[in-house]
Amino acid sequence: MVGQITVTELLTALRKLLTERVDLFVGILIFLLALVAGAVTRRYVRGALRELDIPEAVAGTPFERTARRLGTSTVGVLANLCGLFVLVVGGLITLRIVHTIPQDLLTLRITDFFRQLFIAALVVVVGVIVGDKLELYLRERLRGVKVPEAGVLPLLTKYSVFYIASLIALSQIGIATRPLLVLLAAYVFGLVFIGGLAMKDLLAAAAAGVYLLLTEPYAIGDEVKLDGHRGIVQEVDTFVTHIEAEGEEYVVPNDRVFRRGVIIVRE
Amino acid sequence: MADLRDLLGGIVEDVDAVCLFAPSRSYYKAFADVEVPVIVIARENGVEADSFVELPLDFPDIRERIRFGLEGALDDGYLDDEQVVACATRVFDDGIDTVARVDAGEFSESGVYELFSESRADPNVIRDVFEVAIELGKKGQKGKQVGALFVVGDAGKVMNESRPLSYNPFEKSHVHVGDPIVNVMLKEFSRLDGAFVVSDSGKIVSAYRYLEPSAEGTDIPKGLGARHMAAAGITRETNAVCIVLSESDSLVRAFQGGELILELDPEAY
Repeated sequence: MVGQITVTELLTALRKLLTERVDLFVGILIFLLALVAGAVTRRYVRGALRELDIPEAVAGTPFERTARRLGTSTVGVLANLCGLFVLVVGGLITLRIVHTIPQDLLTLRITDFFRQLFIAALVVVVGVIVGDKLELYLRERLRGVKVPEAGVLPLLTKYSVFYIASLIALSQIGIATRPLLVLLAAYVFGLVFIGGLAMKDLLAAAAAGVYLLLTEPYAIGDEVKLDGHRGIVQEVDTFVTHIEAEGEEYVVPNDRVFRRGVIIVRE
Repeated sequence: MADLRDLLGGIVEDVDAVCLFAPSRSYYKAFADVEVPVIVIARENGVEADSFVELPLDFPDIRERIRFGLEGALDDGYLDDEQVVACATRVFDDGIDTVARVDAGEFSESGVYELFSESRADPNVIRDVFEVAIELGKKGQKGKQVGALFVVGDAGKVMNESRPLSYNPFEKSHVHVGDPIVNVMLKEFSRLDGAFVVSDSGKIVSAYRYLEPSAEGTDIPKGLGARHMAAAGITRETNAVCIVLSESDSLVRAFQGGELILELDPEAY
């Protein structure tokens, strides 16, 4: 009858545990569940990111290189971050159940704060990667342009993205960002207004060029009279029309075609 | 026993310059201390050489490759025509395995470099058209040999001096040679009669074009047909370059200024 006694004892112990220490028991259970959920999240996020070809997309960015030097990768960092978040949330719930911290502090601040911290971290990581990637992409595109100043553009884009990402992250965790926001507004205004002013003619020519390319009122090989020049159309692109006559090639901005009209010569 | 270095060293003795065809970075670095100028000839300047000639096609024929490289180097002023040059290039596997000694003075210019550098059209456009023609020559159309005629550059004048055989399938389409879709489209359209007209920037302006230049004064080898004659004629009257895929012998030929400049066998690519 030894077995009978042990089972009875176990049941008594369990009942005791359930009645007197039920909070602790449930708390531990939830914490264990959170551990499992964290691991599963980590695994799932890793798989999902791989599925989305994130490793190829971030290849070559400084963030990825730094992560590799630290023995992990961008995907690993993101997956760990998600797993950690789940684990922390589980831990918080456990703490709440076993009543170790005051209720109101828990519900109001800490959970919110952790959620915000998580989003902020995510924004920073994504911002850094997007900025790096944009820089690489622009550098690749501008490689053919042999002007030293062209190197500024990718850097400018990168730091703009970093700036916006850090702004979002800081406002997430509740740090006053108003001065930074004002700075951003001034920057965007400068970019749009001054840039718009500088590219006014180009934009007008491009708008006209789109129409010309779509409807093709005159095509390559037609003889036209355009802006006072008569010749054969050699090329029409978004910004300009090339017309050529007797060894002279006129490059006419497309907005002139609209402003002055064009005569198509048909004998 | 004679030392091989003494016997074969004559190839590179007293040369005035060295041409390296597509050297690897370490191979090029090893030439840093050579007393004579080093000229790199490759698809792209991966080794950041100061003297560089861009090779638009791979030229499997070693003579064509060296000819193009030397004409480019002469044209860009890296060489003058009294110099003797050692050309190191690849014949079999990857990497440089062959050295040829060429006297730049005894070398008659065929104009193959000017075909790319002096044409109205962008050199990349001419290269792309060559690649399309080579591809077409290799594969044919549904296993059957096809011919094609591409007129590249000076499209306005070419269009003005030719007439359509039928409606133009490329009207209001903005495709450029080198776009991935073009290979497929051109293969289908190569069944059509007439010429393709490509603009300076690579836009395909028209297909189905009947060229009507006068053949007067064109000097092309006997035995080439009407397609080649039309190609030679139009390049005499305009500043265009013509790239022709022959239907009968499936060679790709290029014409400029009414003359045959280059002949390539697509099968070698």
